[in-house]
Amino acid sequence: MSQNNPSQLLPSELIDRCIGSKIWVIMKGDKELVGTLCGFDVYVNMVLEDVTEYEYTAEGRRITKLDQILLNGNNIAILVPGGSPPDAA
Amino acid sequence: MSGRKETVLDLAKFVDKGVQVKLTGGRQVTGTLKGYDQLLNLVLDEAIEFEREQDDPLKLSAKTRQLGLIVCRGTAVMLVSPTEGTEEIKNPFQEADGEQTTRS
Repeated sequence: MSQNNPSQLLPSELIDRCIGSKIWVIMKGDKELVGTLCGFDVYVNMVLEDVTEYEYTAEGRRITKLDQILLNGNNIAILVPGGSPPDAA
Repeated sequence: MSGRKETVLDLAKFVDKGVQVKLTGGRQVTGTLKGYDQLLNLVLDEAIEFEREQDDPLKLSAKTRQLGLIVCRGTAVMLVSPTEGTEEIKNPFQEADGEQTTRS
């Protein structure tokens, strides 16, 4: 069934290739995380290491550093492999 | 093969074409569709996110930011539309400024 999927690049494959390298996770809300991807499951819950969390509030940007986290996949909107930190803004 | 439909939306015809994607939570991105799966996870290349006004998150600001190659989570995807042949029109239900809408 999935064999006749003409799609060239499967999303899950791309995330899988990201394991061990930096990834930038953009949540549905105003939070973003940059960290090293250690693994993920079918729900795209993920384990990240050396994480920097950016939270955009009216007062500005709040930054939190975390060693290792389990991130629930429920609130993830966008994944950016390579994970250049959102510093340009 | 002809029995049941596999997907309602056949994204195959959008592959390598520009698409605009709206996500739950209000984020909006456009990019070139490079791949997808049955759960509507999307791979977009050269993706650009449209940023929103700080004081009115429903409004898009003129600011954009380059994201590059991204994966949009299917669980967050609300809308997918081809960039080509799509244009935004004025809200036909919106009254002109100053006029008050009357509701009974």
